[in-house]
Amino acid sequence: MDAARILIIEDDESLNEQLGNLLRSKGFHTTQHHDGQEGLLAALRGQFDLILLDVLLPTLDGFSVLSRLRKRLLTPVMMLTACGAEAERIEGYSQGADDYLPKPFNFKEMMLRIEALLRRSRVSLQANPTRRELRVAKLLLNRIEQKAWYGEQELVFTPIQFRLLWVLVENRNEVLTKPYLYQMVLERGFSYYDRSLDMHLSRVRRKLVDAGLGTECLITVHGKGYKFC
Amino acid sequence: MPKGLIWKFCWAIAVAALILYWLFSILSRETEQRMSFLAPQHRATLLNYAKQAEEIYRQRGEAALGVWLEDLQERENTWVAVVRSDLKAFAGSKISDQFLDGFGLGRSVDWKIHLYFEENPIMELPFLDANTHFLIRLPKSMRPGAYWPHAQLLFQILFPLLLVVVLSVMVYRHVKLPLRRLEKVTRRFTNGEFDVRASAGFGKRTDELAGLANTFDRMAERTGNMILMQRQLLADLSHELRTPLARMDLAIASIEHGIHMDESVQRLYRETAIMSELVEDALTLAWLNNEQPQLRTETVDLVDLLNCVIRDAQFEFQDRHINSCLLESAKLEHTNLRALNQVFENVLRNGLRHTPVGGEVWVRLWQLQIGHYRITVRDQGPGVPGAHLNDIFKPFFRLNKARSNPGQGSYGLGLALVQRNLRAVSGQIFARNIRENGRIVGLEMVIDL
Repeated sequence: MDAARILIIEDDESLNEQLGNLLRSKGFHTTQHHDGQEGLLAALRGQFDLILLDVLLPTLDGFSVLSRLRKRLLTPVMMLTACGAEAERIEGYSQGADDYLPKPFNFKEMMLRIEALLRRSRVSLQANPTRRELRVAKLLLNRIEQKAWYGEQELVFTPIQFRLLWVLVENRNEVLTKPYLYQMVLERGFSYYDRSLDMHLSRVRRKLVDAGLGTECLITVHGKGYKFC
Repeated sequence: MPKGLIWKFCWAIAVAALILYWLFSILSRETEQRMSFLAPQHRATLLNYAKQAEEIYRQRGEAALGVWLEDLQERENTWVAVVRSDLKAFAGSKISDQFLDGFGLGRSVDWKIHLYFEENPIMELPFLDANTHFLIRLPKSMRPGAYWPHAQLLFQILFPLLLVVVLSVMVYRHVKLPLRRLEKVTRRFTNGEFDVRASAGFGKRTDELAGLANTFDRMAERTGNMILMQRQLLADLSHELRTPLARMDLAIASIEHGIHMDESVQRLYRETAIMSELVEDALTLAWLNNEQPQLRTETVDLVDLLNCVIRDAQFEFQDRHINSCLLESAKLEHTNLRALNQVFENVLRNGLRHTPVGGEVWVRLWQLQIGHYRITVRDQGPGVPGAHLNDIFKPFFRLNKARSNPGQGSYGLGLALVQRNLRAVSGQIFARNIRENGRIVGLEMVIDL
């Protein structure tokens, strides 16, 4: 796959430089800007796969950059901010940020999220009629009807539970990270104390086990994510 | 009696008005009375005139009296006469006995002079012979009550004015003194004396100003606590950050010197993780404390959540056992998943940390009543001395002040966050020691939702 192009808009020069170096070392193409106005122009001009956007910026703050950008483009945006206030988080989401990464963050976590975002936008690009049905042994999922069967027995899932199971089965035998599942299933960023995905997964697992699948069908890989075998 | 300033003022003004009315009427009547009588020397003068007239008439005859009277008229600039009366009953009627001894044509000098008549009265002084009367229109110079207009002025204007001034000063002092006290307290509070309180000086007052003082005290309590807590938090936080920073410095130095490279990098990862968590927790704590948000918008199945938390915790602490006894399902409405998750994770991990290797932590879920649950988490740790059972919910509380082994023995921010998170979803938590044969065998956290 092509090396993704990432735009970094961050006013702290050394942080900006460090991020650029690390991302380039991972094979990404990066463009760096230090203020909001310039960053917004670059974002509108260039074709980027992902934008890393700081909140506190000179000339134009991150939220304004985001809302102006959203009028034209749907480029995935990950907000970075040093402010921990919940209110800002919610504002970030409601204005269309795809993920939110509070500073301090570590690079590993950032990579997981960047990969999740890029992967999601790739999936939605090739998008559409992927497959209408998935079948693994006796388990059958129908995406159009949003229904699942285990043998003759119909399994009842909520839309979110169904989407979660679908994504896991579609990427069978692959460990899917939490940031990725959050993006794909709940369509939002992941934060440390958030348990919604775990709870949905625990419900799905219980239903599958009740229906007769082994407890090993849905595996929790601690520190990494989930896997359907 | 109703309380409050308005009633106090009503009472004060009503009482003052009554006093004013009574004092005015009594005093002015009394004064007028006293001022209405002839001065003693004037009375003596008049009596003397009569005596002289009688003597002159007796010794020197009517003509001499006429001359004297003429002279007196001029001297006193008034009308003087000596009149003889001869009462005769008419048409068969009879003269009352009262008049047989004598009767008066004018006012006696012992009577009072009505000050409200402009014209001076005619005074009568009888001769020894009751039928001869010495009459004199009271000379202007002898008219009593010369000061009556002044007295009237005093009673009608100055006296009420004085009373109103006294009343105003009293009312003013009644309002001003507490206000000044409040002002003084506010100024001291502004200067950083967060323990000053206003209501102490108000005694048994219960009016609006005492109410204001109480409100001030509540504000001072909350603001003072908040400031002190933030100060403490900041001090503790910077203290807690120093240790990982020092270890990071050492790790960097190790890398520079090329010793323990891998180990030092791992250490750097670990220390930044600790610092990140500390900062994140401190911000969340400040947010929960300062904004006191209401997060009650979700419905959460406590069983699902507890299962998730227990599974993760069990994975992290594989050398301890978690023994859980939950319900089939426990739906809790109007709550917040994130807050509850943080609560359960912190409490469970806390219990596991304090439980020795190989030990057990029990998690129980009860339904208290419909929609209300109790979760208990019991560990096999050393417990907490009874006096400190509440303190463990304070940020960075430590049982032993020695900070030799960071992370161990410190409750950090975890339980403080637990308590604040629960408050935001209308829950509460308390801790109690578990005793067997008088010996503490563990700590139990009780969470009511």
